This record gives sequence, C-alpha cells and structure tokens, in this order.
Amino acid sequence: MLEALDLHKHYHQGEIDVVAVNHFTYAFPPGLTAIVGPSGSGKTTLLNLLAGFDVPSRGEVRLDGQPLSRLSEDARAELRLRYMGFVFQQWNLIPTLTALENVAFPLMLAGVTPKERVNRARHLLETVGLGQRAAHLPSKLSGGEQQRVAIARALALNPPILFADEPTGNLDSASGARVVDLLLHQAQEGRTVILVTHDLELARKAARILHLRDGKLLRVEEASLERA
Amino acid sequence: MEVLALVYRNLRARPIRSILTLLGIVVATASMVLFLSFGEGLRKALGAELSKVGPAILVISEGSEAFGAGYPELPPELLGHIKALAPELGITRAIPTAVFARGGFDPASSFIFQGLPAGVTAQDLYPNVRLAAGRLDPGQQGAVVGGGIAERNNLGLGKTLRLSPQVSLEVVGVLERSGGLTDSFIYVPITAIQTILNTQNYSSILVSIGPDQSAERVARALEARLEGIKAQTTGDVMRFAERAVRISDLVRFGISLVALIVGGLLVANTVMMSVYERIREFGLMRALGAKRRFIFGLVLLEALLLGVVGGLLGLGLGQAASGLVNWYTLREVGLALSAVTFRLASFALLVAVVLGLLAGFLPARTASRIRVVEALGRV
Ligand SMILES: Nc1ncnc2c1ncn2[C@@H]1O[C@H](COP(=O)(O)OP(=O)(O)O)[C@@H](O)[C@H]1O
Ligand SMILES: [Mg+2]
Repeated sequence: MLEALDLHKHYHQGEIDVVAVNHFTYAFPPGLTAIVGPSGSGKTTLLNLLAGFDVPSRGEVRLDGQPLSRLSEDARAELRLRYMGFVFQQWNLIPTLTALENVAFPLMLAGVTPKERVNRARHLLETVGLGQRAAHLPSKLSGGEQQRVAIARALALNPPILFADEPTGNLDSASGARVVDLLLHQAQEGRTVILVTHDLELARKAARILHLRDGKLLRVEEASLERA
Repeated sequence: MEVLALVYRNLRARPIRSILTLLGIVVATASMVLFLSFGEGLRKALGAELSKVGPAILVISEGSEAFGAGYPELPPELLGHIKALAPELGITRAIPTAVFARGGFDPASSFIFQGLPAGVTAQDLYPNVRLAAGRLDPGQQGAVVGGGIAERNNLGLGKTLRLSPQVSLEVVGVLERSGGLTDSFIYVPITAIQTILNTQNYSSILVSIGPDQSAERVARALEARLEGIKAQTTGDVMRFAERAVRISDLVRFGISLVALIVGGLLVANTVMMSVYERIREFGLMRALGAKRRFIFGLVLLEALLLGVVGGLLGLGLGQAASGLVNWYTLREVGLALSAVTFRLASFALLVAVVLGLLAGFLPARTASRIRVVEALGRV
C-alpha cells in the first residue's frame, strides 16, 4: 500500500518560493487512480515524490508502512526495482537496446539469469502485442509501440505499483487508447496503477480521480459502481 | 549481456569519435612499446653476445668502462703477472687482445679490428664461430673477416685491407654469419694493431679458468693482486649494463608518458562527452531501479574497453614497428636492437588498463551522481 502523508514540496526560484505540492494526503488503493489538474498544478512533482525520485520538503511517502525518505538513494532505487513500474510521456526506452533488451533490463538489474530474462521478456512483449518487434531498436518503433514496450518493461518484475505520467501525451487517439487499455487491464488484475494526465476524458476510465490544483488535493471523485 | 551490449553499442553509435579516441590510445601504447623495446632488445642482445664469449673474465685497465674496447692501456708486463698467478688461481689461459675501431656514422662503413696474438684464432674467443672459407688463423700478414662485414663490403679471400699507409693485410679467412656483433669484427695479428697505434700495450686480456673455478672469485683475486686493472665477469658486465639500461628505460618511459597522458585525456574527454549526452538515459536507468554502482561501472567499462582495445592494437603496432627496426639493424649491424618481450607486452597492457580506469573515473562518478528528477526533466 502506497500512502502520502501531508506531503509538501517547495522549490526556491530566486526570491520566490514555489509550493509545488501542498498538504497532500492520500492512501492509494489497488486499481486505477487518475491524477488530473492543469499544467503546473504539481502532478509531476507529486509523482516524483511518490516514486522516490525526489524527497519531500515535509511529510512522507510510505510503502507498506516504510517511509521512503529515510532510505538512501540506492535503497529507494532497489525498492523501485521490486515494487514499481514506470511509463513516462516519452524517451522511455534506452536507445541502444532492442525492445527485448529494454524489457529485460530490470530483470538484469534484479539478477535474473540471461536465459530466463529472454524468455520472460519475449513473453511480456507478446502480451503487449509486440512479439514480432523484439529485435527492433526503439528508433524503429512508433510512439505507441514504444509506450507498449515501456509497459512490458514496467511489468517485468511483476511490481504491485505502476506509475504512468502522461503516457498518451504524444500519441494519436487510437494508439493512446491501446496504451490505456493495457494499463486498465493491469489495474483490473489488482495492481495499483497511478495515471497522471491532464486529459479528463482519459481519466474517466479510472476508478477514482484525484483533482489537483496548485499542489493541493482539491477533491476525490469516485467512479460510479457500474463503470468501475 | 545487456551491459556489454550497452557499452559496445554506445561506442559504435558514434563510430568516428570512438575510432579517433582509440587511435589516440593505439599510438600512445605503440610508442611506449617501441621505446621500451629498445631496452629489452639491448638486454637480450647483450646476454646473447656475452654467452658467445669463451673466456670467463675480461681484464681491462682500471679507468675504462665496461666493454674495454678503448685505446690499449694495459702494459705488456701485465700478461706475465697474470700468467705467474695462473697456477694459484686456476687460470688456464690468458689471451691479450688489442682493439682498433675505424668508425663512420654509417654502421656499414665502421670496422672493428680485434688483434690476436700468434696462434690464437677467433674461435678461442668466441667458440661458436665457424669458418666459411679460407683459414681461421690470420698468421703474420692475414685477416679473418666476420660474415656480416664480408658481405657488406665485399671482402672475399685475397682482398687487401689497408689499415694504415704502413700496414696492409690480406683476407685469408671468412667466417659464417652467426648473427651478432662478431659478424662485424675483423680478426688480425695483434702486432698489426700495435704498429698502427704505435704501442706495445693491450686493450684487454681475456682470462679463461678451469671448470671448477668461480669467475667471480678469480676476478676479485686478480683485482686485489694486480695494480691498475679491472677484472670483469659476464655477470659484472650484465649488472653494469642493466643499471645503464634501466636508467635509459626510465627516460624513455618518461617520454612516452607524455603520449600516454594525452591518450588518457582523450579517453576521459570522449567518455565525459558521452556521459553528458546520455544524462537522460542514466536518469532513466536510475528511475527503473539501477544503483549508482551500476551506472559507475557502466561508464568505467566504456573507458576500460577503449583502454584495453587500444592497448591491444597499440601493442600490435608497437610490435610491428619493433620488427621493422630489427629488420634494419640486423641488416646493418647484425643485432636485433628491439625486443617486445612478454613482460613488456604485459606492462603495456597493464598501463593501457590503468589509463582506461583513470580516464573513466571522473566521467563515471559524474554519471553515477546524476539525479533522476533532473535527468527526467530533460529531453
Ligand atoms: N525543479 C523545479 N524547480 C523549480 N520549480 C519547479 C521545479 N519543478 C517544478 N517546479 C514548479 O512546481 C510547479 C508544479 O510543477 P509540475 O509538478 O511539473 O506540474 P505539472 O506536472 O502538473 O505540470 C510549477 O509551478 C513548476 O514551475
Ligand atoms: Mg507534468
């Protein structure tokens, strides 16, 4: 279970003190949670804190009761490897590795044997419909295909939490829908999927929507039962 | 697999830059190998030359250095003194020689005349010497020429050698080529040399000892008993030469160090540039769960790979250059002056590896300290 407790993040921009995240408290249940808000409302900053990329100015993020900010950078990296998967808006893949090798990358970090890595990575690529593109470099894949490779990679170590920051931001609606369906499917399997977007239409597919404004959690909108 | 693929493909992704950097290391290593190969060559040649000398001890005048091929300074009575000590010290034979060198800048026009007393031949001094034509003993008015010098200067049997206006000798024997300094010697009667130099002195006296005698002990005894002389064993010569060669090794390594440092900076620069270009990539890896150590190792490996591959190629190039030098010096003076020994090759590779590690350290540290948030913010 991922919890944010009274999270604060300040940035100093010369004289001005920018509060990017302000009194944010929320416990993320399994299923798809969308975080929406206008540009500059603090969505990316919040995600950085939840994933342990950055440390909060105040408050804390807890993963299964363990406060992330007390851990070293390397310990947080290890935690991400085991518990979190990521899909970013763009530049998700390591450009010199093939699709298969990109998916196998976290498996290598986790010390999975080379043979097992290839098997698992191949299987994951098939589940996102890219079995044929295993040997292709990212530059030979379309934006939508790259995002699907990123999803396959995020699932490589079967983590309980998935983060997606504007994963469809650079995609046409058809490939965007395909990416969202994959994420939705993972949420239905019981994973905690946190989707950051400014697209309300997209957010409607989530079980709940967190509305962020000026770094504050404005309201939580639960989806009606028949949709969830 | 992915790690090496990452390193290799990243270098291959910028082929021109990688190749230029590699060339820097190759040239640096090759120049170091070639420079240091001269020291190794000298050691080897010296060992080979000394092993060809029959007599165990070389007596020269106290003031002269090592090989004692200088102007004859040993007084004639000395031979009698040494012979008088012979029974007591276990000396079996004492052969006086006089050396006269007529040199030019070009090794082909340099001649070394070694004067031998009547009844003594080149074989008494250098047991491996073999006759190709004529006879071994120069006699009263003859000369026996080494194989190399005979070929270069077309000195066949019956040719006349004019050592000075007064002294002319006829070639009566030609030796087989044996590879080494003796190929360039001309053996003549000692009286001829003494006449030219207008002296009764000797350049050196070669002393042979019985099989159960220690050369070291006899040499020290001779020095203690006789005034104004130095008695050298092959061991002494080797030690003296080793000191000299080692000093010149240091000087030559110092010179090649400049090239090595430039090569190292080249690698550091290349790898640093590639780190700056891949901040986003390293940030992504950290986001996915890579530890700092992993990124550090990845970048270090890149520099190390450049160092190792450049070192290996440089070693090959240095070896080729050394072969070229030897081809020339063998033809000219009958000596292989350069040698790429196993220990030199190992040293060169070690230097290349250390160079790679040193060059990679700073970029690797920079890369491992990239913060995820800052890296991901970039496009
Ligand atoms: N590294 C930073 N330094 C200073 N200000 C920042 C930094 N990152 C974000 N901010 C500010 O924090 C606020 C929230 O930004 P962000 O989290 O990127 O919002 P969103 O992702 O919702 O567009 C903005 O006002 C932005 O200017
Ligand atoms: Mg954002």
